[in-house]
Amino acid sequence: MLGVYNPARARLKLLLTFGGLAVLAAAIWWGNANLSSYNLRILNLAGINAILAVSMNLIFGFTGLFSLGHAGFMAVGAYTCALLTLPVATKDSIFLLAPLAWPFSVITLPPIAAVVCAGATAGLMAYLTGFPVLRLRGDYLGIATLGFAEIIRVVANNIPSITNGALGLKGIPSFASNLWWTWGCVGITVFVISRLVNSVYGRSLLAVREDEVAAEIMGVNRTYHKTVAYVIGSFFAGVGGALMGSLVTTIDPKTFGFTLTFNILIIVVAGGLGSITGSVLTSVIYTVLLEALRPIEASWRIGPLRVPEIPGLRMVVFSLVLLVIILFYQRGLFGGREFSWDRVLDWIDRRRSRKQGVRA
Amino acid sequence: MRRVTGFLVLVLIALLAFAIPSVSAQQEPIRIGVYEPMTGPMAAGGQMTWEGIVLAHEMTPTVLGRPIKLFLADNKSDKVESANAVAKLIEQDKVIAIIGSYGSSNSIAGGDVAEKAGIPMMTDSATNPLVTLDKEYMFRACFIDPFQGEVMAKFAYGEGVRKAAILKDVAQDYSVGLSNYFKKTFIALTGDPKSIVAEVAYQTGDQDFSAQLTQVINSKAEALFVPGYFGDMALVAKQLRQLGSKILLMGGDAIDAPELVTIGGTAAEGIVFSTFYSADAPATPEAKKFVDAFKAKYGKTPNANGALGYDTYNLVVDAIRRANSDDPKKIRDAMASTKDFPAVTGSTTIDESGDATKDAVLLKVVDGKFTYLTTVKP
Repeated sequence: MLGVYNPARARLKLLLTFGGLAVLAAAIWWGNANLSSYNLRILNLAGINAILAVSMNLIFGFTGLFSLGHAGFMAVGAYTCALLTLPVATKDSIFLLAPLAWPFSVITLPPIAAVVCAGATAGLMAYLTGFPVLRLRGDYLGIATLGFAEIIRVVANNIPSITNGALGLKGIPSFASNLWWTWGCVGITVFVISRLVNSVYGRSLLAVREDEVAAEIMGVNRTYHKTVAYVIGSFFAGVGGALMGSLVTTIDPKTFGFTLTFNILIIVVAGGLGSITGSVLTSVIYTVLLEALRPIEASWRIGPLRVPEIPGLRMVVFSLVLLVIILFYQRGLFGGREFSWDRVLDWIDRRRSRKQGVRA
Repeated sequence: MRRVTGFLVLVLIALLAFAIPSVSAQQEPIRIGVYEPMTGPMAAGGQMTWEGIVLAHEMTPTVLGRPIKLFLADNKSDKVESANAVAKLIEQDKVIAIIGSYGSSNSIAGGDVAEKAGIPMMTDSATNPLVTLDKEYMFRACFIDPFQGEVMAKFAYGEGVRKAAILKDVAQDYSVGLSNYFKKTFIALTGDPKSIVAEVAYQTGDQDFSAQLTQVINSKAEALFVPGYFGDMALVAKQLRQLGSKILLMGGDAIDAPELVTIGGTAAEGIVFSTFYSADAPATPEAKKFVDAFKAKYGKTPNANGALGYDTYNLVVDAIRRANSDDPKKIRDAMASTKDFPAVTGSTTIDESGDATKDAVLLKVVDGKFTYLTTVKP
């Protein structure tokens, strides 16, 4: 059945896609109006994690570049966006060590422009660093990109006239506490990256991942494709960083340590390398689970017995969950598979024919 | 089959995790939230603060005739988790006031959430001036970086030092803040913009300071100010003395830990630092009472974080008592008007920006012990 063009089914799929989007939009609209700010915060964070995971999946899962520089690109994006959106009055009051350098001291941009700038700066940074670094393979690339992220953090500590050094920035406008913003960006990220992956370029990326030499023999321009994936992935890492800065309303260099990269790597691997669906859903599960497990750290009673607070217990439970995932789902929860209407419709068809078969 | 087993195990873990909590409510308690770094790189500070808070809660378990219930949320030493933790305390646990957090970056993130929700928050030991800036509901029980930098600059000047050097940790806001204000005050006192003869930097985690210290020695500085943490200071002291320099070493409250002497050994002798109080020479009856109770409960001498946690709890409870209400707005107003509260770490008054003004104590390492030198009024 697959591969045969079926106009009725194509129309049905289009209808389902728009229906699905409408349901999502309605859910966002309802959520913005009715959810408590705590729940909204978690959902926004889940969205931001989804952007970061999907972008890392493009670099690592689809193109096979073991890059650990995500936190660095997030830092670039977050600082760019923060400096462009902070009101001038706030800038004047928070730069205690050294006055803010021109031109950041006078400009304030609307959030949309600032977020695009954040992504573009991160993308540019990726282009400049990718040029020398992408010649490396495997673990060596990982180490080089990790080094890049650390350099960004150290530089941020040492240029107080732009970053305010270790004091960090605060009072960043919190536009990202709106579900339209975060999940809108998730939508754009998923759309762009899934279109890219399913295009000719995407096939070349997969070819590079599977075997670089063979791909090059087949006429794939290895360097070009790697750089495209790296720059686009980093663009969205910058966007994710910008949104995270806006959600928390404060950033400092410490925020962008390498553990941040590893958190995202955990999401990507647990969701399945090369599965956008897996990255998005696992981001939601990961973020919600971390908060949902909080009650087990609180003190509680069984009859007369009082058990004190045990901070860190949720991380223990969380590690157990990860262990089980890796033991039983070696390729991640989704293992490279994607959600598609075809899969759903085929499944419904099979169910139906089986039922009819039983009846007959 | 593997899949199914895996799924069942996941479900089992989830069930176990959610089956545990069952809190029984008796009399409607006053709910106070605490968010501290109980895990992660800042866990040592957060846990000591929590010990102080728990002790204070045991000694004052009720206010306005109602029991006080503490809700602890771990922020994992992380900004994002801090914001989540405060949102959770406010919305799920319905707290009316919040204590926390150790670490200025955590407090700035948490403070923004509390400000938007209109819940008063008092931080125990976040000294970054940005913490209370432009915030109506944010207070602190400790003094701020500018004050400590000034105190040490004045002390050095009073000791006859005219050329000073600074060794700062550029990755710590605390260290950057203190050195910034030390520099400003010292230059103002000497009237000589060149009186800071060397300003060198390191990063958290550095172990070898010989390059920076050689630079300091070559600059002919008469004193070295190191506003870093106790581990760094102990190593700096050792390496400085090994290089043959005998200049005066000074630090801030972050070196107020017994490890300074256990790591630094004889090299730590003569180090002078500012802090909130002295456990060896408790100045006030409250301090004595606290030190005795802490030793009895935990079997160890409390440090400044334990004392600040204890004080912050009492300051919050005092504000609730004076507000005579569990309305967050009224508690906020009462907090803002705190005056001469007899705290362990000195008589505390909250100024118009929400910062505590209190005395600083200068201590000196003599024969491996922290000995009281003097008290500096704000």
